[in-house]
Amino acid sequence: MSQLKVVGQNVKKKDVKEKVLGTAIFAADIKMDGMLYGKTLRSKVPHGIVKKINVSQALELPGVHAVLTEQDIPGVNKAGIIVKDEPVLVGIGQRIRKIGDPLAIVAAETEEIAEAALDLIEVEVEELPAVFSPLDAMKDDAPKLYEKGNIMAVRRIVKGDVAEAFKNCDVIVEQDYTTSMVEHAYIETEAGVAKMEGDVVNVWVCTQNPHYDRKDVAYNLNIGLNQARIIQTTTGGGFGGKLDVTVHVHVALLAKATKRPVKMVYSRRESISNTVKRHPFIMKYKTGCDKDGKLIAWQTEIIGDTGAYASYGPGTLTRAAVHATGPYEIPNVKVEAYTVYTNNPQAGAMRGFGVPQVAFAHESQMNLLAEKLGISPLEIRMKNAFIPGSITATGSKLEHSVGLKSTMESAKQAAEKVLGDKF
Amino acid sequence: MNKKLIKFTLNDKEYKVEVEPQVLLVDLIREELGLTGTKVGCGEGECGACTVIMDGKTVNSCMVLAVTVDGKKITTIEGLAKGEELHPLQKSFVEEGAVQCGFCTPGMILSSKALLDENPNPTPEEIKKGLSGNLCRCTGYAKIVKAVEKASKELNK
Amino acid sequence: MKKRGVGLANMWYGIGNTGLPNPASAYIELLDDGTVIVLTGCADIGQGSTTTLAQIAAEEMGVDIEDVRVVSADTGITPDAGATSASRQTYISGNAVKMAAKEAKTILVETAARMLEVDEDSLILEDRKIVVKNDKDKFVKIKECLGKCRAEGKLTLGHGWFNPDVTALNPEDGQGKPYATYAFATQVAEVEVNTETGEVKVLKIFAAHDVGKAINPINVEGQIEGGCMIGVGFALMEQVKVDKGNIKTPNLATYLIPTAMDTPEIYPIIVEDPEVTGPFGAKGVGEPALIPTAAAIVNAIYDAVGVRITDLPVTPEKLLKEIKKERN
Ligand code: FES
Ligand code: FES
Repeated sequence: MSQLKVVGQNVKKKDVKEKVLGTAIFAADIKMDGMLYGKTLRSKVPHGIVKKINVSQALELPGVHAVLTEQDIPGVNKAGIIVKDEPVLVGIGQRIRKIGDPLAIVAAETEEIAEAALDLIEVEVEELPAVFSPLDAMKDDAPKLYEKGNIMAVRRIVKGDVAEAFKNCDVIVEQDYTTSMVEHAYIETEAGVAKMEGDVVNVWVCTQNPHYDRKDVAYNLNIGLNQARIIQTTTGGGFGGKLDVTVHVHVALLAKATKRPVKMVYSRRESISNTVKRHPFIMKYKTGCDKDGKLIAWQTEIIGDTGAYASYGPGTLTRAAVHATGPYEIPNVKVEAYTVYTNNPQAGAMRGFGVPQVAFAHESQMNLLAEKLGISPLEIRMKNAFIPGSITATGSKLEHSVGLKSTMESAKQAAEKVLGDKF
Repeated sequence: MNKKLIKFTLNDKEYKVEVEPQVLLVDLIREELGLTGTKVGCGEGECGACTVIMDGKTVNSCMVLAVTVDGKKITTIEGLAKGEELHPLQKSFVEEGAVQCGFCTPGMILSSKALLDENPNPTPEEIKKGLSGNLCRCTGYAKIVKAVEKASKELNK
Repeated sequence: MKKRGVGLANMWYGIGNTGLPNPASAYIELLDDGTVIVLTGCADIGQGSTTTLAQIAAEEMGVDIEDVRVVSADTGITPDAGATSASRQTYISGNAVKMAAKEAKTILVETAARMLEVDEDSLILEDRKIVVKNDKDKFVKIKECLGKCRAEGKLTLGHGWFNPDVTALNPEDGQGKPYATYAFATQVAEVEVNTETGEVKVLKIFAAHDVGKAINPINVEGQIEGGCMIGVGFALMEQVKVDKGNIKTPNLATYLIPTAMDTPEIYPIIVEDPEVTGPFGAKGVGEPALIPTAAAIVNAIYDAVGVRITDLPVTPEKLLKEIKKERN
């Protein structure tokens, strides 16, 4: 191959000049003639059946152009990346599954009027018993969020025979781990503007996922995929949190109803309170090796609280399961990962996708084993690290580009240069 | 409504505007004057995205009533470059890779400017302290600190 | 008393969606003046994919980076590239762009071969020229060659799509090939624990990441540094508090994320073990950047004070309680 000219160079970001000048246009910066402002009325209870939504007073408020409820949705009233279990608006007779579920949306001349209109919407909800712990939710007598039950998905990985293999281990460590629910906290909150152009709805929105957004907009507006145009605006960070739809379908519905451009910008509180989070995990680890530190058996159980709706939940738990054993070759593995519904805020994708949680656990396990064996944390890792040709827990062979030993060496060398011999 | 006439300098230009007493400075800048380089990340004085410089000091413009800027001098991100020529801080942010999503960038650059105006030779620790009111979720701050160091050298030349 | 400790952690991360098809596509047009437009659905959210894809296109087409404009993430114009997630865009969209570029230049190469009276195989594109590999003085400028193409009524367009080679996981035992390639990393953290208050300060992070090939090293470093700080937050402070389904930390005053004051010295180290199926050997780095950080910090805390926290985040109260327990 000839010498690379551009690849490998520190090329300046294509959009960086606008960003330092302050001229880059983020969704909240968009202004259009006749633009209205949208706001969302949300549930205050975690679980219940909507009995009544009366919007007549709100509609009468001067400056209000539309108040929409579930009945005004021409399409499927469903969203969701992996499973379409999330209502765009919860209607009368339908079920609220978390605090913050959207019940109605308003478009008005100003944000203040839209806000005032929300206060005029009357809502009655029959509350249902709720469940807030995934462990409780897995019990037979728990309040059920869905007919099929609260266990949304189970992912199993089995290689070899762990029960048998643990008998042959010289050292075994067993430990439980838990991690917290985490917020993406991108500095730009969710925002978007929709405008009809003929029979096409244009949605300018901050997003990581325009082509998926298009589906949710089109299916809910009951229009063709070629009639929903999603235009990503300069996006102020995502970290997984801008994969799901938030304002997208709502602004599109309001723009269609009012025939005016409609903008929605979430406040920080609205953003933190209603958008997806990193899954809190409960993990049980049991790991065994021989007296030389060679891993023989590995067993992990993971429970991920995905909250009221699936979002990226099953994907996160599947990825967590695959990565649960760390980058080590182990002949006997058993992993079980449960995605569980609760009436908590929903968890979805966040940078790392379940792997930061399991890495915390598997790397703690490795140190515990090393300590018991009286060898260094680096040594036990070197002994078990994936190399080209290694077989993973899912039985796939790593053919090439397996730079783990190099990263260990490089990190060690760099650290030693500064800190002295610590390994 | 009891609108009040205020006069102030914004990016070296004189402005006379009538504002309602409850209007925030950030809304005046963004909505009325159309300078959207000043961002809103929280509206509660916690993130620094709305930072502007007022009489030499940074303020969170989401926490300041517009009427109080009467007679003051304000600088926003739009006021830094001289035509096509970027301010040394803007240049160093570009060169050091201190910008990812860019949402924190205007506020970061203005806080850095106020810092360097007051302390032309800050240590990395002083820079971190000076920027501690500006949140960035993308960069981990490392390259931002480097960019400010670089600009300080450039400005002291 | 302040005690220091050092901890190490590894990670691996499969690039792309797990055991599922997740293709990406791109279009390229080489214009009369030798500039290039890339159409891609790939959403740049600040990480720099637009620039990365432009570099890949420029390299493949033999033009300068300034010659390439990327139009991205507009479903009215750009083809589907899937989500910017799973650290997949450099690998998957990068391949799509490379393939599109290859297709766009076939006409060019075919025409140039006739102009230069050489075999197509002997030609490469670089510095805005189509050059004879072994005789670099023999070349035709891309722009001139485009003139010839147009005179012959030929346009120079390309499209490409790439779907990583994976298989579904067996629902019973999870066996299968979930990813086409994996990123690997090792991070070493040095911390200082205040044994009176339980406070932890991360002093240094050495972060070595095997990215296959860094298309844009400074952007890779930026990803590593930013990731490390999300990892620091995950390790030490971040916690959405929920009471009966109600979020009790709904703003940035109650939900704390790292500030500049929390930033340790971060030493990003790029390791390049090329991935043969990646564009110029590249894999991905976005998510790997933060994955081992919390683990390395927790291991460092143990090294410092002999206390192992198994419940994140390691808040000062939690750690102090454990330190006291350990003492008694
Ligand atoms: S918007 Fe003013 S401090 Fe966040
Ligand atoms: S660059 Fe994204 S928040 Fe700072």
